[in-house]
Amino acid sequence: MSFDNINLIDALILTLMTLALYQSISWAQQKWQLIWLNPMLFSTIVIIPYLLVNNIDYPSYRDSTQVLNALLEPATVALGFPLYQQLQHIKRYWKELIAILALGICIVMIISFSLTMLLIHQTEIAIALSLKSVTTPIGITLTERLQGDSSITAFAIMIAGFSGAILGPIWLKFINIRSDIAIGLAIGTGSHVIGSIILSKNNLNQGAYSSVALIISALLTALIIPIIVPLLLPLF
Amino acid sequence: MKNIIYTIIAISICLISGRMLYSVIGGLPASLYGMVLYCILLQLGWFNPDKVQQANQWGIKHMGICFIPAAVGIINHFELFQKHGYSIVAIILVTTFILISFVGILVEKYLTTKSKPAADVKDY
Repeated sequence: MSFDNINLIDALILTLMTLALYQSISWAQQKWQLIWLNPMLFSTIVIIPYLLVNNIDYPSYRDSTQVLNALLEPATVALGFPLYQQLQHIKRYWKELIAILALGICIVMIISFSLTMLLIHQTEIAIALSLKSVTTPIGITLTERLQGDSSITAFAIMIAGFSGAILGPIWLKFINIRSDIAIGLAIGTGSHVIGSIILSKNNLNQGAYSSVALIISALLTALIIPIIVPLLLPLF
Repeated sequence: MKNIIYTIIAISICLISGRMLYSVIGGLPASLYGMVLYCILLQLGWFNPDKVQQANQWGIKHMGICFIPAAVGIINHFELFQKHGYSIVAIILVTTFILISFVGILVEKYLTTKSKPAADVKDY
């Protein structure tokens, strides 16, 4: 840890403030059962004006709250537990499952990366948008390793999560996909934890399938993206 | 309280081993090696799943807090969003729905005959 740019008391205050804010929003979300009241989104919406008003620049905020960022790694490891719980359900068809997810991830990664490069011409944004279907801790870690912009990843992950979780099931019904396994795996792959939470509220089977899909697809993405990005980069 | 310490130690062991693996063979991020290792050790019974369950689920439920420092980085991108906001949102929406449709269609076609209902769902 380095605290070069900031003093410890300010760092402590900013960290505690972030914690308190996050906790109160997630309390409100639980109490009133409002899925859209996402604590990460709304904490960010409150913190940004606070930093602007008080003239705190982003590097100092980031240094001050590095303790929170450091928790990303253990949080990722903790995802091994739901993976363990769901392992028995995917044993029977793990090969097909991995093949379908890997193919889907490759195709969509190529499309997101290419579209972003064509429309916006910025590699770090293209990397961030290619990682939008991954669960947030892994998405942020992967973006930072590939020198993408992790704040764009966090934002993109949230949009992918809410749009797919809310409209995805309706869309799948429309294209005549009705089995729990197809809906669960599809929404889990596209909309990760947010999808999984929303599906679990109505149908536990779909929720279980989506939680397998989100972890497997995050692992596959971690394996695939370091191969695909260097292949695509020279094209633009 | 004992179980909380047990869970923290289990996760730390996996993370440290993940770091070592990463420094030797590279490839995946250390935390992903840790995640796979944690899953394997639970499966092998080296760690007791009943003991980690509660603390682990608490941790996953609250992990959103770790994403805030990264998310606040949007503060540096107001200009980007003014210029390219619509394209960014459009790219995200289009590719998300391509992915969902692709996986949904293939799973419906190839996996529905093989599957049985998944049982217990843990909330996270």
